[in-house]
Amino acid sequence: MKPQIAPTTVIIVLALFAVVAGGLALVGGLDTQKAKSTAVEEQAKATDAQPVTDCFESRVAYTAVTRTENIVPQYGYPNIKCSPKTSGVLWYGDPFDGTIPMGEMPEVTDATRGDFVNAVVKPREPRLTYFNMGPDGCATCHNGTMVVFPKDKKPRLITMHQDIVANSLQLQHGRGAIWCLDCHSATNRNKLVDRQGREFSFNQPQRLCGSCHGEVYIDWREGIHGKRIGAWATGGKKRWWVCTECHNPHTVQTNRFNPINAELPPPPPKGMKNADHERVGQNEH
Amino acid sequence: MSDDRAETNNKKDDVTTSRRDFLKNIGIAGASTLMAGSASAGVPADSPDPDAESTAAEWLQGHFVLMSEEDKKEAINRLEKRYTAKYDKKTTVANTPPLEGVLFGYALNIGKCIGCRRCVHACVQENNQSRTNPVIHWIQVMKIPKGNFAFTADKLNDGYPKSSAFGDYGVQVGGNAYAPVGGLATEHAQSYYSADEMVPDKDYFYVPVQCQQCEKPPCVKACPVRATFRDPNGVVVIDYNWCIGCRMCQLACPYQARRFNWGEPNLPPEEMNPKTHYFGNRPRMRGVMEKCTFCVQRTREGRNPACLEACPVGARKFGNLLDPESDVRKILATKKVFRFKEEMSTYPKFFYYIG
Ligand code: HEC
Ligand code: HEC
Ligand code: HEC
Ligand code: HEC
Repeated sequence: MKPQIAPTTVIIVLALFAVVAGGLALVGGLDTQKAKSTAVEEQAKATDAQPVTDCFESRVAYTAVTRTENIVPQYGYPNIKCSPKTSGVLWYGDPFDGTIPMGEMPEVTDATRGDFVNAVVKPREPRLTYFNMGPDGCATCHNGTMVVFPKDKKPRLITMHQDIVANSLQLQHGRGAIWCLDCHSATNRNKLVDRQGREFSFNQPQRLCGSCHGEVYIDWREGIHGKRIGAWATGGKKRWWVCTECHNPHTVQTNRFNPINAELPPPPPKGMKNADHERVGQNEH
Repeated sequence: MSDDRAETNNKKDDVTTSRRDFLKNIGIAGASTLMAGSASAGVPADSPDPDAESTAAEWLQGHFVLMSEEDKKEAINRLEKRYTAKYDKKTTVANTPPLEGVLFGYALNIGKCIGCRRCVHACVQENNQSRTNPVIHWIQVMKIPKGNFAFTADKLNDGYPKSSAFGDYGVQVGGNAYAPVGGLATEHAQSYYSADEMVPDKDYFYVPVQCQQCEKPPCVKACPVRATFRDPNGVVVIDYNWCIGCRMCQLACPYQARRFNWGEPNLPPEEMNPKTHYFGNRPRMRGVMEKCTFCVQRTREGRNPACLEACPVGARKFGNLLDPESDVRKILATKKVFRFKEEMSTYPKFFYYIG
């Protein structure tokens, strides 16, 4: 379709233009416009006094991020803008703030090649409570002497970490088929471990999860499952979300994705006090 | 900010006349009446107000696509100056041209969407919508009941036609038939559900709706002045300065994706996004239409739309429909995909999918 403007259109345009322009000149008198904009400024000052700085991305608490001002000086952008209602991150001034390279990934030989060349992620280790309790991470306690290495993988009642797993005999993942030591290394607690004994950093949970959830992993690798932000083009720089940024590996059976609060709805249609009309007939028929 | 390629691929010489030439030739009298009209609306002729001059110039501005390079540059400088003064921050109005060999598409997984409305507010932050009076959201999230699947055995023999003085009438149905049914029917959709809810509610699913960027856009057809048109990347955009505010496009759109500025938009300066595009998120004025542009100011520079970046569950995917390796193309190839209101034959490039 080509936006040619035929002479007849021009005449119509001109007619409409004159009518509308006249109308706008009437309603949009310049000094009233000015009065309004100062009112807006005042209103804005009152409502938006302090931006929310403690925010989360997908998983409450486990994807905490702090707003930093002026990360992109050209536009005065902060790294993120958060919802005053829920503290959820709404907007990224810099999509790559706080990221590190994804790290080594198994080679993918299909056409996608995994698109990993420019892949960055947010590291998980700084987010873990127990990882940051001492200088050696989990091994601060799990060093073989302070907490002895478990002898086998048999599920037993753990008297620690109840904040993470309330009851270790009822782990909410895998319906009884898997246990702590299918994922956590028995002797090197700072690492995750798959069933073939390969160790992975907490920053690369996708390699662990992928060893059991092959189908989802294929989708994730192709950018279908999960989330990537930054460039849209194939091969462009992208920040990937790793599995544990959305899923809590200890509760997936209760909720695959833990519910979060909703953001504000639009105001009800003009002239209506509420939107109850939407519910009319909901339970009839 | 210069634009080496025209917004549309048509040849310039196809265009026999522009509104400006037209005005020059026969409309001088009309134009000066107009300017006199706006001057008498409150600005003294020698006003130091920079706005007055640019307002007058804007009245005479042609359709952006058909303007000469110098005129475009001038128009953009005018806008940048005005916005920078009004919002008290350095504002850029880009005229980044459409990309070569790109057709933008979007895919949304309704199996994943939890209805949190983060996309809605991300869009507001990015695209400089009016925050109050009017409140403008380009995305509407429908909360749709899964339907009554609570079948009960005691209704097994119900549902015979009722008897009346006229005898039996009606068609026999099963006794469990008298409850709302599930499915993507907008009849029972709620778009105003409260923010006090935790989402997702297990008895509902959620369907966000925004401009579907139709290949056959009814809004473009309805626009009497072609202020809204499809750009070469397949995105329907609006020249806000050319828009006459007749709202025909709003009526034509089957997706209720277009919004009208009934009043002077209220955009707090500290929330204003100073990186704008002429056809995208630059601040609008009273009396013009606006809608989703797939964040033209971002996507033409290679970045993902703001709604996609905000989605906490990764339900939103964007990319080039001409690139078989793009996320959207892989979804089209491997998932169960459908278009919303397909029967309208609008051929959206916004796809919904499951799985
Ligand atoms: C403050 C000390 C401490 C830290 C730090 C700590 N743990 Fe533990 N953890 C314990 C104790 C004590 C037990 C054993 C409790 C029991 O046997 O009843 C335990 C048990 C476990 C178990 C059950 C299997 C086993 O070895 O008995 C897992 C899995 C585990 N911890 C994971 C971790 C991970 C992962 C980290 C680091 C992110 C971590 N722990 C950090 C104290 C700690
Ligand atoms: C399916 C694999 C899997 C299983 C099974 C598993 N975990 Fe974990 N665990 C993880 C992953 C992955 C992380 C890192 C989470 C993150 O990045 O948020 C983790 C983190 C932890 C942490 C550190 C959390 C923190 O905030 O410091 C502890 C403690 C822990 N697990 C204990 C356990 C215990 C105890 C069990 C058994 C009852 C268990 N895990 C079972 C995968 C698993
Ligand atoms: C040792 C194998 C194993 C590993 C490693 C593993 N899972 Fe699982 N996962 C399972 C099994 C088994 C199930 C249960 C499947 C079922 O119920 O059909 C499951 C179920 C799930 C579910 C769906 C829950 C449900 O029942 O609906 C999610 C989500 C999930 N896992 C996420 C993860 C994530 C994220 C990781 C990595 C941190 C991970 N899994 C690592 C074995 C594993
Ligand atoms: C951006 C957030 C996000 C990331 C990252 C993510 N998931 Fe998911 N995942 C979800 C959501 C949302 C669902 C759907 C939940 C539902 O059905 O209620 C889901 C569902 C699942 C399921 C169960 C249903 C299914 O589709 O089979 C599994 C298993 C799973 N994810 C594993 C993973 C693994 C493994 C990874 C990392 C390779 C991962 N997820 C990364 C958000 C995510």
